[in-house]
Amino acid sequence: MKSSLVDLGGLNIHISDGILEPRWILFWYVLSAIVIAAGLRVINKRIAVDPVYLPRISLIGAVVFVISVWHIPVPVTGSSSHPVGTPLAAIIIGPFAAVVISAIALFFQVFVAHGGLTTIGANVFSMGIVGAFGGYLVYRSLKKFSPLWFSAGMAGLIGSILTYLMTALQLALSLNPENVMYYWKLYSLGFIPTQLPLAFAEFAFTGYVIEYISRTKQDLIGTEGHGMDRFTKTALVLMVLITSVIAAGAYIGYLGGSDMAGVDSTVETLAAPDADPGGIGVRLMARFGEPLGFAFVGIIGGLFTGYFCTELRRRT
Amino acid sequence: MLQWLTTDPLNGIVVTITFFISLIIGRYLREKRSQSGYRGRMIDSRIMIFAAFILIIAMTVMKNWHIPVIISILCMFIALRLGIFRDYTKKIIFPLVLALFILAIQGLTYGVNIIDLGFISVYSEGIEYGSLIFSRVFASASVLVLLVITTPENELLGSMRWFGVPGTIIEICSLMTRYIRTFSYEGKKLKLAQESRCGFSREQGFTKRMHNIASICGLLITRAFARSEEIYIAMISRAWRPGLQYPKDYLPLDKRDIMFGLVLSFGIIGLIGLDRFL
Repeated sequence: MKSSLVDLGGLNIHISDGILEPRWILFWYVLSAIVIAAGLRVINKRIAVDPVYLPRISLIGAVVFVISVWHIPVPVTGSSSHPVGTPLAAIIIGPFAAVVISAIALFFQVFVAHGGLTTIGANVFSMGIVGAFGGYLVYRSLKKFSPLWFSAGMAGLIGSILTYLMTALQLALSLNPENVMYYWKLYSLGFIPTQLPLAFAEFAFTGYVIEYISRTKQDLIGTEGHGMDRFTKTALVLMVLITSVIAAGAYIGYLGGSDMAGVDSTVETLAAPDADPGGIGVRLMARFGEPLGFAFVGIIGGLFTGYFCTELRRRT
Repeated sequence: MLQWLTTDPLNGIVVTITFFISLIIGRYLREKRSQSGYRGRMIDSRIMIFAAFILIIAMTVMKNWHIPVIISILCMFIALRLGIFRDYTKKIIFPLVLALFILAIQGLTYGVNIIDLGFISVYSEGIEYGSLIFSRVFASASVLVLLVITTPENELLGSMRWFGVPGTIIEICSLMTRYIRTFSYEGKKLKLAQESRCGFSREQGFTKRMHNIASICGLLITRAFARSEEIYIAMISRAWRPGLQYPKDYLPLDKRDIMFGLVLSFGIIGLIGLDRFL
């Protein structure tokens, strides 16, 4: 990779060698390796059916790499930086292939000292897995209800924001394990001046590119999408409704002079007065911080309910 | 002066004998090297990658800044000696930006003992920890930059198979490396053509300029798509088929390289031990 090709500029958020502790290096390597292995399986299956897929993803990967090192103008800051590129890749070649491509691209970026050898796992996880899958999910969810440029743009925006939030979390987990939530917020805030305007630039960039491709080569993106079924729509509507009720309740309470201390005291006196203060739930919350602990509970509860609801519906 | 000779002569004798014998051996080795036209042998790239990887890992477990700083200085000297200092400094800047960001956040937020600098207060523990991270990043990035500057990329990619990287990844890598340059060149040509039509004029707003960049990128993607069909036909005509098993054509490691790798590994482990001792 000659310097003429990769004249990267601006603050990049790839984690360099020497920052992460060895156990976190190993952790992110293992997690990324699992997804890369799944991605390779998807690619190999696809190649067996459609052999032209191999040169196609390689060439599109090469273009996405070239694009991701191009400077795009960043609004507000007046500077320019390079886009994440993985949401765009995920829309064109699929999220699993995008993860493999991003792993290779990150390996190439090591040649220009962007990122590092020991941090490829962590960078693949934030940029490749979280950025590609996050962006792709947003794109698929919005595609049926909004114009193509908007859904692609939102994929770029959310993918970019998720990437830097994940990078901030990785830094907080490794550098300040005793106070993860505080430092996650701090690193995220530190990235905002450069990364948030960049996310908006990525919105415009991804939206325009996908719009251009859809006009010139529609079969590359595929116009038909999987629309949301009734169950998904109901779940999303309920999610928005309940979140709105909670937010509105909190705001009304705030206007009424409440200290926004949450419902801890109510739960402790009314719902679980005999709860063990040293129980696993309390320890988990203390270890990960409350939002991460509640997110964990939400994920487990949602997966469990969704799985058994489907099973029950299938039986009946 | 005389009193030196009247006391125990053992140390003096030992140092004199070892010095002069080493001097003779050193002269003999240098002459032999110049006679045989020996130009020095490149270390195998696999050993270099392995050593660089474990050295970087070793740096991340270090608890003191001393050894990382020494390694950074050593790397700078090597870069100067090899005449690649400019390239080295250009590449080292990017990792250091993130390291400085971490140093600032740690210094301003982490710890209990406050140091008042007049215009700003920092925490001593945060500065200490942030400096350790900074020294680690500096040293690791220096090692990495030296590795990528001194090792040709085809050698690095070639050694991937030896490290057990799956065949599909190597195939994608080899196609990507070939076409990154092609598309970069094409992209630049397209951009130049657009510029000559005032596509990137400063007078144009963000939306218009973004629209122009995106058009070029979209065009590159559609070109890549079209070209992939041609490459597939070329690959088929050269007897490629999905699931093709490639022969393991890499050379076995030389004994001297293995020895060198072992010495380096033990040296790096010794550095970790030394760091714990400091």
